[in-house]
Amino acid sequence: MSIDETVRLEILKELTKSLPHASNLRVGVIGGIAHLGGNLSNRDEWGLAEAVAHSVFGVRGVVNRIEAPDAPAPSRKIDLDFLKSDEP
Amino acid sequence: MPAHPSEPVLVSDIVRARQTLSTVRHFANLADEVLDALMRRMTPCQFDAGQVICLEGEPGEKIYILEKGWVKAVRTAVDGREQAAMFLRGGELFGDEAVFTGAAYPVTVIALENIKAWALEGSVLLELVQRYPPVAMAVIRHLGERVLYYVQLVEDLGLRNVQARVAHTLLAHAELKDGQLIVPRQAWTTLDEMATRLGTVRDVLSRTLSALEADGILRMERTKIIIFDPQKLLERGRV
Repeated sequence: MSIDETVRLEILKELTKSLPHASNLRVGVIGGIAHLGGNLSNRDEWGLAEAVAHSVFGVRGVVNRIEAPDAPAPSRKIDLDFLKSDEP
Repeated sequence: MPAHPSEPVLVSDIVRARQTLSTVRHFANLADEVLDALMRRMTPCQFDAGQVICLEGEPGEKIYILEKGWVKAVRTAVDGREQAAMFLRGGELFGDEAVFTGAAYPVTVIALENIKAWALEGSVLLELVQRYPPVAMAVIRHLGERVLYYVQLVEDLGLRNVQARVAHTLLAHAELKDGQLIVPRQAWTTLDEMATRLGTVRDVLSRTLSALEADGILRMERTKIIIFDPQKLLERGRV
């Protein structure tokens, strides 16, 4: 099993503990960046899911695309730590 | 915005499934028997604009065949920057690269408008490939074209500056309509989306397009980009 897959399963395990009623959260991990999807019922849970994913060892960043009322759009452009330059 | 990925197949859906398969270029030469075998195993699904269809790093368990609507596939770099890998529409499919390698999806795919699609379990596709060699050939052709596309993307992002990327991409998508050379813009073709595709940021793209407009090479409109001087644009693409 790859490191990313191990991290992914760990995130799912921690999300199950922290958000036991959430039934359709989805997680993908590539290069230590965790990608979250699915639905939650409010913005607090949205933030909690992100924090839980961040807390897992091996996670270098979290792209939170979970749908929740008042949460940012899942389709928004993501720049986790992007330094703007004229000629990227 | 609920997704409905697992509704049962109705009789009317069978007609839709057949129509969708007929629009997939790679499946055009498959025999009826093979198309029927594919169709019977496909599941209809819908996604609203903005919804995530698959996440990068998720196990690649299904392929999706788009029936209607546009999606974008994006990849997030380790520094967090997002790069659009491709834009796909009805008649195109994705997810096969993950299914055939047993790897995770390499990109996140997001609906740009309300879309209809068909999902096919990876295990079913693998079974059909073994049973019907023409399906294997169709998939090989598709994957081969995908490799060539990514080679082109690498060239674009690695070897061309932003202005050359803009010029090259516009010329690649230009079409002649009513005596004008134009690049049609979808409702979702915003500067942000274009910048994501071109590996730059909105401000840089905006300045680049303004410079091309000032030089009389093109004009940006809400529904299209009109190219007045393709020769000059071609020269700008040779950097």
